[in-house]
Amino acid sequence: MKKYVEDLDFQGEENISDWTPWSPQDIRRKKGVLDAARMMVNSAMTAPVAGGVPQLEAELIYGQKEIEALARRVEELAHSNKAWKEAYLYEAVMVRDSDVVIMLGNTRCHETPLDANCGMCGGTMDCGYFYDKVEHKYGIVDTTNRKSETPIKGPLCSARVDDLGYAIGSALWTAHTLMVDARPFASMGMAGQKLGYCSNSGMVVGVPVAAKPKNPYVDVNVDYHLINMDRVLDNTRKVYQTARLVRGFDYRKWIPKPTNKKGEE
Amino acid sequence: MGHLIGNDYLQEHLVTVAKNIVLAIKKAPMITGRTPIEAEIIWGEDIVPIIDVIEPVAKAARYVQWDYQTLKGCYDKGEPPVIIGIGAKVDRSDLGWNCGACGFSTCREFNKYAKENSGGGQLGGPCCNWKLLDFGIACDWACASAWQYKVDNRIMGSVGFSLMALNYLPNSNVKLGLALGPARDMVYYSREEMHKKFTYEEEKTDMLKSVPTMFTCFPGNGNPMYKTKDDWWAPPEFMDVKYSEASMDAYQKIVYEQVPEAVMKHVDKISARYKKEK
Repeated sequence: MKKYVEDLDFQGEENISDWTPWSPQDIRRKKGVLDAARMMVNSAMTAPVAGGVPQLEAELIYGQKEIEALARRVEELAHSNKAWKEAYLYEAVMVRDSDVVIMLGNTRCHETPLDANCGMCGGTMDCGYFYDKVEHKYGIVDTTNRKSETPIKGPLCSARVDDLGYAIGSALWTAHTLMVDARPFASMGMAGQKLGYCSNSGMVVGVPVAAKPKNPYVDVNVDYHLINMDRVLDNTRKVYQTARLVRGFDYRKWIPKPTNKKGEE
Repeated sequence: MGHLIGNDYLQEHLVTVAKNIVLAIKKAPMITGRTPIEAEIIWGEDIVPIIDVIEPVAKAARYVQWDYQTLKGCYDKGEPPVIIGIGAKVDRSDLGWNCGACGFSTCREFNKYAKENSGGGQLGGPCCNWKLLDFGIACDWACASAWQYKVDNRIMGSVGFSLMALNYLPNSNVKLGLALGPARDMVYYSREEMHKKFTYEEEKTDMLKSVPTMFTCFPGNGNPMYKTKDDWWAPPEFMDVKYSEASMDAYQKIVYEQVPEAVMKHVDKISARYKKEK
């Protein structure tokens, strides 16, 4: 009966806008992006994989705190490796500018390889490259020791990694079809993995999604981590107040006006 | 003005669709932004070398046989699929990320290993996993694009093996083939070409061998009987685990004798095209 009443109640008005951030109208907009992200995950799930074997997990991250935590983790990674520094700092800004971040991970690449002797992982005639480097018995991999000196604990089954690529591709294709902006990022994947997202996966890729007037993932300026929309806005808040008070006057008594040629107000 | 009748014009049009798909491959987003991706279109009689190389492997691997019979069957009917060869160079890392996914602590160590061990695998390798993801995304965009043009298609490792053996896409070290068309339903899923191509017994044997745990009985005595027939207990059969020299020899013979034979038949003609291109 409750459902019937809800059906009759199908009416309403919704204002949707990206301005101001985190306002009701912005959150409504974000909910649309969340729907798109869910569809993207569906597409990822239907992507072709070797042998049709289930091997994908996904996680959706949204909300002020959650997005900020991910951005900070990307920044941590940026400062851990010279090769990453600038790009990852820029990408942390992109995380903050995203409505939803999708994490896509492959649950088999580190633990249950394809076992097809395809040789993609090490260029050898069999799966020996992978199995020689992991702890295993009868080809059953022991992943209980999760310590690793590198951000990702390799080696991985490349056939499975390739399949993860398909999943990402399908998610991105759907993003294009739905006209939301999205791009795949290594930084967000590794940061997400460190935060415990897609914890069953050996490799994770982050796909941030946004529906904003400007695609957040392209056309960035130099020193983007220092000069970006948030910083520009905050700088305005910082500078404008001071500009007001340096020539304070009582607007009830006199307001300065432009002068004419004779020098009169 | 015009009036198109029959299927021939569709067969021709597949090549145009393939060109559109290559546009999607080239447009596919990348994670690294630094993975060189190649794509080539092969059609008509020119897919014969690819089929010839797959033929011997098909005798040993069921899924390759599946692809072989489909490609050969379509070709013999005069409606050969168009093959889009997709390749990428992923056996060197210029990223300097030292992420560890390849199994080495640094990109430098990986590159050193790759220099000495490149190309030994049936599907290439070794791989920088981030670059391989870029390749995967491109392959997926090819499939998604074909899907949106409503052309039956399948991305195939067997064709990739063939492209590798014949040295198509010479600058790449991972290769896969997208078989596109012919223009009808059920080419690559519930394949029409497989109709009446195998017996009930063969199918049953495949299932027994591929999913053995499905057919074992009460395991309490440590050596469970294997339910291979309706009255599986009389006389009982047991799982037999052993190294088979005969089957390994047969496979080696295919890979080292029959495949090179098929390659030699076509390779000069194919490599001459790349020289001309230069």
